[in-house]
Amino acid sequence: MAVSPSSASTPVQTSSPSIANRLSRLVQPLLLLAPAGVWLLLLLVIPTLMILNISLIPGLRPGEIPGAYGLGNFLRIFDPINLRVMGRSLYFAIGTTIICLLLGFPVAYWIALLSPPRWRNLLLVAFVLPLWTSSLLRDYAWITILRPTGVLNSLLGAIGLPPQSLLNTGTAVIIGLSYSFLPYMVLILYASLEKLDRRLLEAAADLGANARQAFLKVTVPQTLPGIAAGSLLVFIISLGDFIAPELLGGASSMTIARLIYNQFLGATRNWGFGSALSMILILAVSLAIALLLKYGDRDIESY
Amino acid sequence: MNAPSRSPSSRRRFLQFSAAALSGVALANCRPQIADPGGNSGGSGSQNSLSIYSWSNYFDDELLSSFTAETGIRIVADVFDSNEAMLARVQAGGGAAYSIIYPSDYMVQQMIELDLLTELDKSRLEGLDRLLDQWQNPVYDPNNAHSVPTTWGTTGLVFSRSRLNPAPADWDFLWEQQSQLNGRLTLFNDVREVMGAVLKSLGFSYNSTDPAQIEAAYNRLRELKPAIASFTTDGWRDQIVTGDLLVAMGYSSDAIDLATEAPDIEYVIPASGSSLWTDTMVIPKTAPNPEGAYAWMNFLLKPENAARAVERLKFATPNQAAIDLLSPELRNNKNLFPPAEVLAKCEGIAPVGAATELYDRYWTQITSA
Amino acid sequence: MKRISWQTLFTWIMFAFMYFPILVLAFYSFNASRFSAGWEGFSLRWYASMIQDQRILSALQDSLTVAIAAVAVSAVLGTMMAVGLAKFRFPGKSLYRGVSYLPLIVPDIAIAVATLVFLASIGLALSLWTVIAAHIVFCLAYIAIVVSTRLSGLNPHLEEAALDLGANPFQAFMKVLLPEIAPAIVSGCLLAFVLSMDDFLISSFTAGGGATTLPMEIFSRVRTGVKPDMNALSVVLILASGALAFASEYIRYRSEQRRLGQ
Repeated sequence: MAVSPSSASTPVQTSSPSIANRLSRLVQPLLLLAPAGVWLLLLLVIPTLMILNISLIPGLRPGEIPGAYGLGNFLRIFDPINLRVMGRSLYFAIGTTIICLLLGFPVAYWIALLSPPRWRNLLLVAFVLPLWTSSLLRDYAWITILRPTGVLNSLLGAIGLPPQSLLNTGTAVIIGLSYSFLPYMVLILYASLEKLDRRLLEAAADLGANARQAFLKVTVPQTLPGIAAGSLLVFIISLGDFIAPELLGGASSMTIARLIYNQFLGATRNWGFGSALSMILILAVSLAIALLLKYGDRDIESY
Repeated sequence: MNAPSRSPSSRRRFLQFSAAALSGVALANCRPQIADPGGNSGGSGSQNSLSIYSWSNYFDDELLSSFTAETGIRIVADVFDSNEAMLARVQAGGGAAYSIIYPSDYMVQQMIELDLLTELDKSRLEGLDRLLDQWQNPVYDPNNAHSVPTTWGTTGLVFSRSRLNPAPADWDFLWEQQSQLNGRLTLFNDVREVMGAVLKSLGFSYNSTDPAQIEAAYNRLRELKPAIASFTTDGWRDQIVTGDLLVAMGYSSDAIDLATEAPDIEYVIPASGSSLWTDTMVIPKTAPNPEGAYAWMNFLLKPENAARAVERLKFATPNQAAIDLLSPELRNNKNLFPPAEVLAKCEGIAPVGAATELYDRYWTQITSA
Repeated sequence: MKRISWQTLFTWIMFAFMYFPILVLAFYSFNASRFSAGWEGFSLRWYASMIQDQRILSALQDSLTVAIAAVAVSAVLGTMMAVGLAKFRFPGKSLYRGVSYLPLIVPDIAIAVATLVFLASIGLALSLWTVIAAHIVFCLAYIAIVVSTRLSGLNPHLEEAALDLGANPFQAFMKVLLPEIAPAIVSGCLLAFVLSMDDFLISSFTAGGGATTLPMEIFSRVRTGVKPDMNALSVVLILASGALAFASEYIRYRSEQRRLGQ
């Protein structure tokens, strides 16, 4: 509405900016930014403040009268049992990050530097393609593979190895998480390795460095920002993942995400405690992001 | 934490607002006019569709289509796998579309206390007098004022006869054979059933409120923990057939149903007793289609409909007239209709009042360890 | 030579690792056996039973409704947001930008919980609409990011030139800017669509009133014992998302070619 008067005035092209023009300069950004802003405010910012609020009411349950404010929910997190859950979540996240890095680096290196250039894009897309499939179904596939009578044990049996009992263990969770998030790691490492200055590698070789030295002294330092970005990304998403621990972890793999879920849609229905756990999770992730922004690669934003 | 305290008045108002709103989550459900436009894609307050929130095994396509054929009402069914999860979703505001919910006995009592249920208009129900005596005036809901008992059964152990030797006979089996069961046992994802079973194995009541007994049960359950593959209420069916699991805690209805598909599967009610549960139909206060809800209740109260559902879905019915219509084979199935001396040892799960907190805490510890 | 072959071999093993689970699902989807244990012969019965399964079909319909509605709204809002952020300076801009990144960073479970608490507090009954509203939050963010990336690579003078030539801001946007960022919008939408179709947590916390998205249905089936029609469904979904992935890559490739051609 406010735009049309200004457009009517444009053909005249007076040199001094008219009031309508100035108005439109104010209205335009508002028009463009307000709808999304209001949406984010309503469904993201206010809700987050709300869980911060109810996390300060110990033992708040729906349908009950809220008690007084206090730090009870946060103190409860320091119960040994809850610390153990946090520790387990961290262990899964760090384990997954290390595995993804160890498996992902050679793949990204090979695609970025050793594969035929014209195939590079296609190879990369082919590698990350499973990322586009349903994450539930990927974890479900691992159930089929890892269960006691599953594919893995059939294969192991066929070559005469003893069966493994992996489903419903922490190992299964790490396998599921690593499988799910490896493509992210490869994507980011690839972007970083692609920019690698090859002349430095050549110079290192000229100066008598062997391949191993060149790798450690040139390639790794140059890709360090990519490694940091990839690692932190994988760490963050595996820390908050719910599906893999829930489907593959069984009775002994309670993680922070599962614990939160149980406080809201599970048996215990303690919204106050669940909100406190969510705040802790958000805090942990924010810390990781702060580290990433401080030491990481700015290019991370493009993912 | 600093920022909000700077403006105490607005902070307090914000807190009051959301806290009051929270405590009134149940109230939120009292606004079907909000729920309706989105609830059914078919249009607001459609009288042609009835949303049901139920356990997974209580209906099949045949039951639904025969209801639709008789009444013209289409059924939309959602399922839950524990009473607590159902209540959590209802309290979170996700229950406003349902006109029929299937809570179990103790949960009926809890929902009445939370003022979530409509008092039934008995003049609109036909055939309540055909219910067996013990369901005429149940403890959880005197005179069936809010609920219609529709199915009952027991909790027990499911196992494969050929894979497990010796066969389990009592809860103690789980501890005695723990090394054999290692990682191949599932228990319910249900605090009261699991804690109750362990209490029973110690010779206590399923509904114990004695902190010492509950703690003893917790400690015994903790011993068993390494053997437990997962806590799941109905996710064991396939795994027990393929042999991924050796023993599962199961509901009689699920177990008998599975046994007809896989003859190797057996069900046993533990000798020291177990839970005797009743699942009911209730109409929540927010029900958008109470007419349809009464129609559904009346449909299932009719002996021939109930009997046909039992024949296909293998749950026990409290409807004497329906039992009379069953095939002798089913009527004499000891797992489906256990003899009185077995039932005498079983208990219905009852609310435990203040001990709920204790149960929850131990349950969290067990599942988090 | 030896070194290279070691790395090549490793990469191919990793490729096999990435596709192995998918092939396992595909394999069992053709298995006649009811309990995907041993192989009992080739059969298409699970595909047939999947197609006839009313619950799967209605869950698919709900999922598509959510994804299409959320993506459609987000495409408009997200593009507007990206353009606004690229064009204007204003106080609080970095805060605004920071908030717009939040859905990418904050774990799904925390967003889901927060949205549930909010919806419960304002007393809004959960339905398919609340799922759509919640999905818009993250779809918006992803589309805005993808469009922003493209905008930062654009010549800012193009639009000014159009304005100088007498176009009004709306015309300048439609005629000059939009064609330039259209590929980014499309690939942002594809990404958001896939994420929306895949989302389990946010949907299950905000769905009510009989609305069930496909991931919710899959989750409850995986937990309550799976019939092989789940395998069949997986194969169909994987093929569909593979096709989408290729479409998106193709669009990106084309737009890159065009950019290079300029």
